[in-house]
Amino acid sequence: MTVDTLNEHESKLERLQLAAVLGLMIIGAMFIYSATMSGAVESQKLWYAQLWFRQIIWYALGIGAVVAVCSVSYHTLARWSFVIYWGMILCLVAVLIPHIGQTHNSGARRWIDLPFYQFQPSEFAKIAFVLAGANFLSRPPEELKRPDIFWKAIGLMALPFVLIKKEPDLGSALVLVPTGLVMMLVAGTPRKFIFRLVAVVGIVGVLFVADEVFAPPHWRIKIEEYQRQRLLVYFGRDFAAKDASEGDRQAAHRLQEDSSFQSKQALISVGSGGLLGAGWCEGKQTSLQFMPSGAAHNDFIFSVIAEEKGFVGSVTVLTLYAVVLFSGLRIAGQARDRLGKLIAVGVVTLLFSHVFVNIGMNIRIVPVTGIPLPLLSYGGSSVLCSLIALGLMQNVYIQRKGY
Amino acid sequence: MLVVDELKKNDPSLRLVALVLAGGLFILFVGLWWVQVVKTREYQVHREAQAYRTVRLPAIRGKILDREGRVLADNRARYNLCLYFDDLNDQFKKEYDQIRPVKISVVSPPFWKFWSNARTLQTNRVRLKTGEMDEVAVQARGNVVSRAVAELGRELGEPLTLDLKKFTRSYAEERAMPFTILQNLDETQIAKFQEKYTGGLGAQIVLEPEREYPNGTMAAHLLGETVRETEGESLANEDAFYNYRLPDYVGKTGIEGKYNNELHGRPGVANVLVNNMGYRISEDVDTPPQVGADVTLTVDLDLQRAAEDALANAIQNKYKGNEVNGAVVVMDVRTGDVLAMASWPVFDPNNFAQGWPAGEYEKFQESGAEKDRAISENYAPGSIFKTVVALAALDNGMNPGEKYHVEANPRNPHHGAYFFSPKNFKEDTAPPGDYDFLHAFIHSSNSYFMNAGLKYAGIENVVRVAQQFHLGERTGVFAGVQETHGHLPSLGAVRSGDWRAGNTANVCIGQGEVDVTPMQMAVMVSAIANSGAVLWPRLVEKITPQDFSSGIAETNFPDTQVRNRLTVRPRSLQILRDAMFYDVQGDEGSGRSAAIAGLNICAKTGTAQVQDEHNRLVGHNYWFASYAPAESPHYAIVAMLQSPTLGGSGGDNCGPVARDIYEAILKKEAAPKVVAKN
Repeated sequence: MTVDTLNEHESKLERLQLAAVLGLMIIGAMFIYSATMSGAVESQKLWYAQLWFRQIIWYALGIGAVVAVCSVSYHTLARWSFVIYWGMILCLVAVLIPHIGQTHNSGARRWIDLPFYQFQPSEFAKIAFVLAGANFLSRPPEELKRPDIFWKAIGLMALPFVLIKKEPDLGSALVLVPTGLVMMLVAGTPRKFIFRLVAVVGIVGVLFVADEVFAPPHWRIKIEEYQRQRLLVYFGRDFAAKDASEGDRQAAHRLQEDSSFQSKQALISVGSGGLLGAGWCEGKQTSLQFMPSGAAHNDFIFSVIAEEKGFVGSVTVLTLYAVVLFSGLRIAGQARDRLGKLIAVGVVTLLFSHVFVNIGMNIRIVPVTGIPLPLLSYGGSSVLCSLIALGLMQNVYIQRKGY
Repeated sequence: MLVVDELKKNDPSLRLVALVLAGGLFILFVGLWWVQVVKTREYQVHREAQAYRTVRLPAIRGKILDREGRVLADNRARYNLCLYFDDLNDQFKKEYDQIRPVKISVVSPPFWKFWSNARTLQTNRVRLKTGEMDEVAVQARGNVVSRAVAELGRELGEPLTLDLKKFTRSYAEERAMPFTILQNLDETQIAKFQEKYTGGLGAQIVLEPEREYPNGTMAAHLLGETVRETEGESLANEDAFYNYRLPDYVGKTGIEGKYNNELHGRPGVANVLVNNMGYRISEDVDTPPQVGADVTLTVDLDLQRAAEDALANAIQNKYKGNEVNGAVVVMDVRTGDVLAMASWPVFDPNNFAQGWPAGEYEKFQESGAEKDRAISENYAPGSIFKTVVALAALDNGMNPGEKYHVEANPRNPHHGAYFFSPKNFKEDTAPPGDYDFLHAFIHSSNSYFMNAGLKYAGIENVVRVAQQFHLGERTGVFAGVQETHGHLPSLGAVRSGDWRAGNTANVCIGQGEVDVTPMQMAVMVSAIANSGAVLWPRLVEKITPQDFSSGIAETNFPDTQVRNRLTVRPRSLQILRDAMFYDVQGDEGSGRSAAIAGLNICAKTGTAQVQDEHNRLVGHNYWFASYAPAESPHYAIVAMLQSPTLGGSGGDNCGPVARDIYEAILKKEAAPKVVAKN
């Protein structure tokens, strides 16, 4: 009996991962319900118009997408990856143009309004980047030692990064960086290239943050004011300048309170959940609107779960993600070729970055960024992309070694 | 295991990725454990603090009852029309949307409808700065509440307008609390509101207890002043901090002040759940308030009424046109129970508790009604102090039968005079002639008693007897609150070189260095009547807790607390009592105006000159210190009137006041006993 024959009896699909994904989807629908139904507006809508149900529809569409993605070999998809990549770049450019890109009162131009659907190209651009990157990096390892290839790979990552940051959506842009780096590492790009890159990116990043937080105004690199405020909140810095007048100081403090409100309330939600939580739909933070109703079902869905289900709930969510991620890595290990391995690793890193940043901002490990929690946060683009990414991984698994 | 599998993989890059992943998830795990398990208490406290407002719920104040359980101070329900801001929140939002500035612009069709050429007009809200949004919001709230108040005014059929300042303050500071727009609704208004109000304005009738004195001005000084405080202090044994305090009653003077802690009860706490805007979501009582204890007085409502009516009758009818004030104390000579205690002019304690009608407070301040003249003012006792001198002289060898010759006043031959030397004499009001003790007493001969004091007793013995009555000290009826101690020279003072015979002569007729209160005189008369027991007057019989969960036991104050026993010989007392008997019952007595059939009254009358600081005569104190019945003394009544204009004697002026009260006593004793319902 060989390993090969054993695999014959195994499922075509990675079942454990799918079970974890299913669990996350159930939790997502439940807590979107909990986060939104305490509001008068939402609970008065017809059931099929309510957000939790719409999320379920997105899940269904996403599962459809998984089936579609799995029905074609990932090699075929990789062949089309540059077309997809450039298509998405085009969308990212288009979204920056007023009248095409919509702001939806958020101050950032991130959406293209289609009938029935607000399309968010940055989400899809992440998948496109993983696919294109994997395809580009799956060339023989010897070629990866060439600097021009290295710089091309960097360029592949930098182009969507710059466009997404331009929206502005710094959080979404930033998750491209670890994803790209890990894919390069696994592909076999010489370590010294990567370490140098990491060092440079790291030093520039630290200098940049320090500049924003500590430097006098005319020394600062210009970024959006709200992004700077988030950094100040994260580092616990006073908003008011040292030489500010009393009036300015008060205005600054008020602004500070407003800007730190979400992150403070998220922390209170998570912390007050305790070990077991208040119980499903019993969370006070959302029903009393301390957790703003626009954010609770979205980027801050984790705080709702943590408040209502406590540490046990948080760890359950964390465990489900761990299952998805590590089974993803196993898929990478079992992949038939480097392309498959890179796709799997790319998807795993992308998902992990989202999970880490999103949960991290709820407990103030990282500054607040508008990054959704895969599968749990409400949002069509996010759900579709997460499921397509998982579909790609399953696709790799289906065509794994010796199958 | 899945994680370990990956770490063992023979692919260094993948192993590194797995390691980073495991590390990242572990950081999240530790972070969550820290926030949700280690620090959870902190965050829970924080959540409670931002979502709950504590409200101090005052307890219902205990009642004050008379000795038969009749109510002197009570509480009644008051109905206020209030608005709840949380019910108006939706309207605030709607109004805000309506009045905020808008911009109308032309919009091209979306790009996928590129074939279409239909342009539409779109109304867009103008983006506002924070400050501008606040302004619009304030405006919107003002509009909504003004409309609501006006609408409620229409429903009630009386015009109501919003006090914008009060509303702004209330919204800023007490958003979760009802906002009162009309106080003290009467039955018609309540009926109209219930009939016409259809909801939607956030209005509600809110009930609150109000301190009430059902007998109006009756016993006002005794009961004291109670005021409604919104910014009061916490009691010693309760939480010091509340987000909101409901108005609470605090006793300031009288029984209300002295027993405020007992009457007040223990406030409760309500928790109001609020949302991020501070609007009320729900409310629950955390600790219910505990009703205050009832205080039962020794006062008899019938006698109190009789005493006040007698005073009022004398002052308002008989001596109309004169400026007169006064006080009456009725005491049980056997027990020291204060049966009535009245002071004139009076005030209505309801005004303190419920608010003053326009102009009334100024009138009250001018009238001087705040003083309790039975205990808190010093008065020269005049001739009623001769009782003390009589005891001192009789006990020191004065023979009551011995005649003393009073010379005529050289300036006024109808009046007598007391000569210190041929040139230096004091005028008397009684005629000249020969006086034994009885006649000197009932005619109130000043010369006789100056002689008795100077020749027989000596000032030191007069002071000693007065000290045995505890004159110059507080009687303790209010345990020190508001009570004055009068004035009596000390033994040291009378022994000093500054003390002259003239000072002694003045003291012997109750003038000069001696001042008393009507309450002290009641204690003194009681001691004479009960054969020498100087009692602590008792005003409060018991304190009865109404809420037995409070764990406070009922307090009973025992009667007949003897403070001191007179050391004078019983014979001296008997001689004095006989003289007091003839002062009312004898034909020549100065107090015969008080005599009534069926009751033998004993008394001493007095008229004291009131002098200002320049020794000018500014008025008179009229006294009538009495007890009855002579055979078995039961009641002591001391009546005192003071006036700058009124003429006549203490017997003429105060005797009828005492008589009216004795008549009421006779009537009450004749009537079958009715046990009052509590």
